[in-house]
Amino acid sequence: MREKVFTLWRRIKKHRFAYYFILPTAIAMLLLHLTPIVQAFWMSALKLNQFTIGQYLMAPFVGFKNYYDVLINPDSPIRIGLFEAVRNTVIYTVCVTLGTLWVGLLVALMLNRKFRGRAMIRTLFLFPWIVPTYVVGLLWMFMWQRGIGIINVILVDFLHLLPSKPFWLIGPNTIWAIIIPTIWRYWPLNMLMLLAGLQQIPEELYEAADIDGASRWRKFWMITWPLLKPVWSILILFGLIYNVYSFNIVIMMFGFGAGFPGEWGDLMMTNIFRNSFQRWDFGRGAATSVILLLTMIVVVNIWFRYYRASEEKVK
Amino acid sequence: MLERIRNFKMSYYMKQRLLHYLVHVIMLAFLVVSLFPIGWMFFNSLKDNNEILSGRIPLNRASNDCAVLSVDGGSLLAFSANGGVTRFSRENLKKEGHFSVKAHAVSFRPDGRHIWISTAEKGLIKVDPEKLKVVESYRYPLHGVDLSKIASTVTYADADSVWTAIEYKGVQKILEFNKSTGNFKRLIDFETRLSPFVVREMIRAGDDMWLAGNKGLIEISLKEGAVKDVFTFRTNGSFAQLTSMARAADSLYLGSSSGAFIFSLGEKRMTGSIRGLLSDQINSVSVNGDLVFFGTNSGLSILNRRTGRLGSAEKLFASLDNGAPDREKLTAGEVFSIAYAPGEVYVGTTRGRISVLDIRRNSVVSSGELDEGHVIVRWRNYIDMWKNIDFGLYMRNSLIICGIATFLAMILATLAAYSLSRFRFPGSKQFSLGILATQMIPAIMYLIPIYITFVKITEFTGIQLKGTFGGIIFVYAAFFVPFSVWILRGFFAAIPVALEEAARIDGCSPFQVFWYVVLPLAVPGIIATGVYIFLTAWDELMFAWVLTNADTMTIPVGIRNFVGNYQNRFDLMMAAASVATFPVLILFFMLQKYIVKGLTAGAVKG
Repeated sequence: MREKVFTLWRRIKKHRFAYYFILPTAIAMLLLHLTPIVQAFWMSALKLNQFTIGQYLMAPFVGFKNYYDVLINPDSPIRIGLFEAVRNTVIYTVCVTLGTLWVGLLVALMLNRKFRGRAMIRTLFLFPWIVPTYVVGLLWMFMWQRGIGIINVILVDFLHLLPSKPFWLIGPNTIWAIIIPTIWRYWPLNMLMLLAGLQQIPEELYEAADIDGASRWRKFWMITWPLLKPVWSILILFGLIYNVYSFNIVIMMFGFGAGFPGEWGDLMMTNIFRNSFQRWDFGRGAATSVILLLTMIVVVNIWFRYYRASEEKVK
Repeated sequence: MLERIRNFKMSYYMKQRLLHYLVHVIMLAFLVVSLFPIGWMFFNSLKDNNEILSGRIPLNRASNDCAVLSVDGGSLLAFSANGGVTRFSRENLKKEGHFSVKAHAVSFRPDGRHIWISTAEKGLIKVDPEKLKVVESYRYPLHGVDLSKIASTVTYADADSVWTAIEYKGVQKILEFNKSTGNFKRLIDFETRLSPFVVREMIRAGDDMWLAGNKGLIEISLKEGAVKDVFTFRTNGSFAQLTSMARAADSLYLGSSSGAFIFSLGEKRMTGSIRGLLSDQINSVSVNGDLVFFGTNSGLSILNRRTGRLGSAEKLFASLDNGAPDREKLTAGEVFSIAYAPGEVYVGTTRGRISVLDIRRNSVVSSGELDEGHVIVRWRNYIDMWKNIDFGLYMRNSLIICGIATFLAMILATLAAYSLSRFRFPGSKQFSLGILATQMIPAIMYLIPIYITFVKITEFTGIQLKGTFGGIIFVYAAFFVPFSVWILRGFFAAIPVALEEAARIDGCSPFQVFWYVVLPLAVPGIIATGVYIFLTAWDELMFAWVLTNADTMTIPVGIRNFVGNYQNRFDLMMAAASVATFPVLILFFMLQKYIVKGLTAGAVKG
């Protein structure tokens, strides 16, 4: 035991220099990552609203009451709109993650050919991804307008696909009005990653498949898709995390006015933000975000387990 | 033939080629679709908000209504509201020449020898009517006046002076220029109880200058250089808005939006109103000999002063709509300008139409058309957006906050990433894992405690953190460090270790190795990461929303003020969005090689 501690101490002393380098980052993360997280967990067990906010960490301790209010108690004010937010978040996350993946893959496949000006076209394709998300929200809010929005003008006036101009920012269409801009903003990143992955696949594999007389479709499913797995699995993982925590586009599109997002536009983050900073119900807001975090940890773990399992199957 | 087509077999090569082209076309089509919203944003930032709100898609064109017509020897000069001067031959209305002034609030006055054009921005312009070329232009000697804001100008020329009346946000002035030298002579203020007064017509009679405008008639004594008297005309209990004026001997014929009046210069009072005109909306009045022409909204009416008693209208000419046989050539007879030559009347109407009428036979002899107005590109939106909301402040705040935060984050992250990529020290693995784990935690979970902590710190120590640059920069810097470390690690891993070992053997200290060997090699990677972090910070909304106040607000928080404040100013909003987007777009375009490399390096490694 003593020996072990001694060797550890020697190793630490040997890497003294590495610790100096890491120290500022460690302090910053301790102050603004670890401390807030611990506080958030503690706050989720307190009755913390505008009356008790002055006492902060000394506010009345209520144990799991906040969790009970969020998850079980149907009369709790925080439950208003919570189901809709969860449902929308699930739909939104699945649609956006898969949508960005498939659009990105399609364009990556199209770009993975030899032609002149490929680098330029790839750069142009990346442009939507550079547009700040708040601009995306405002811009698409403008484009979704019922009477004057260009989308309705194209759909109804030019192409005559619909009999009359639908409302996009009111009612059930709202969910599409937030999914489509998000896909538009984020697919270029997926395209970039998948293109990098595609360029790593050796040409010989396709040549061998050609000799065997494989169709395009078969070549894609038997060679491209499995070999891209490291890329798309990471993309799906990050897509899940980022999209569940999506906030900017919705908030810029709807703001906090009357009828803010509505039952088809509210997401988890906007829900928590509203409960915390508009209703000043920090305790329950913290409890909801803790539940969200735990759920995400479970989801990500399931995804990793699936990924490992399939990895081993391949081996 | 069909059989041959059916039996035609493409070669493998041809098939591949065709497919290649097909995919190419699809790809380019998709490129257009995916870039369309950015283009749409920019396009709408150049439009007028009313045009956007009325759902019109193409850019607006300047009106080419024919505002003034004048007979000049064998040709006809037509002046359109957008500043165009066109010369027609009088026989067949063929275009002989064209000239255009691109300015606001244009007004014309041909005086036989020259054409005088007063504009908002470009001052008074003297144009040669033969060559249609600018002879000279004279600036207004006005200091501290935003000339482009001038709402209307009117000009008048007499024997030795040219007069220009301007109206600008209640500032009402007449400028007198010497006609032959162009020297500025004097300035007359004419602010009255009628201000703001939009002048439509200006005529000199003796020592008095008469101004007709939207609220009535103003008499200015040129000797004293001051307003002498003010006359208003009431119809149905409201002010008549005068649109035009013409002088015949001792009386003024006034056209208004609710009828025509006769004003006696001798008695200085209204002596009658003219009834029975085709429409009460009069756009222009013109006098020639005994005839007075009224260009109304639904045709031309002519009054004979000798035969008809004063105050009564004699209809000599029916509405252009009903009377004219050549009906297609004349749209609704909104007459804006009239010129007279013996036996013939020239009328200019909306949409740049000009017609020659034979008044005896009551028919259209020939007609012509002015050029379409120029496309109006409202670059002004890019100036107005800084005034409508305090966008400059938001821009400055964003640059300060994002810039300093990125700089700090890069310092911390470079050190940590180097340390993590080179040394396997106790705790390094846990630290890497911790960095990755922070990415999984929702931002709101940090935000709630940080917000309350900031409030509490202020309460106990008096140090203001919420709503100051210090607080938000500190939060941003710390918040973006983990992700920067994660990207930078890849860059450091790509630098060969052999270099450092060589430097160590040569006797460098660990810090010297880092400073002189590794850091220079890592600069491209650090810049790429820095740009990426800057873009992320530029985009951050949630923290900024809660932790900034009116003085430290960043662009994403402030830009929403365009939506609800007064009305939806989509034009300014799109201009502001363009201003927020294009700098980062250009920044990315210049550095994309590094950024793409840095981002994809991690993906390919898995």
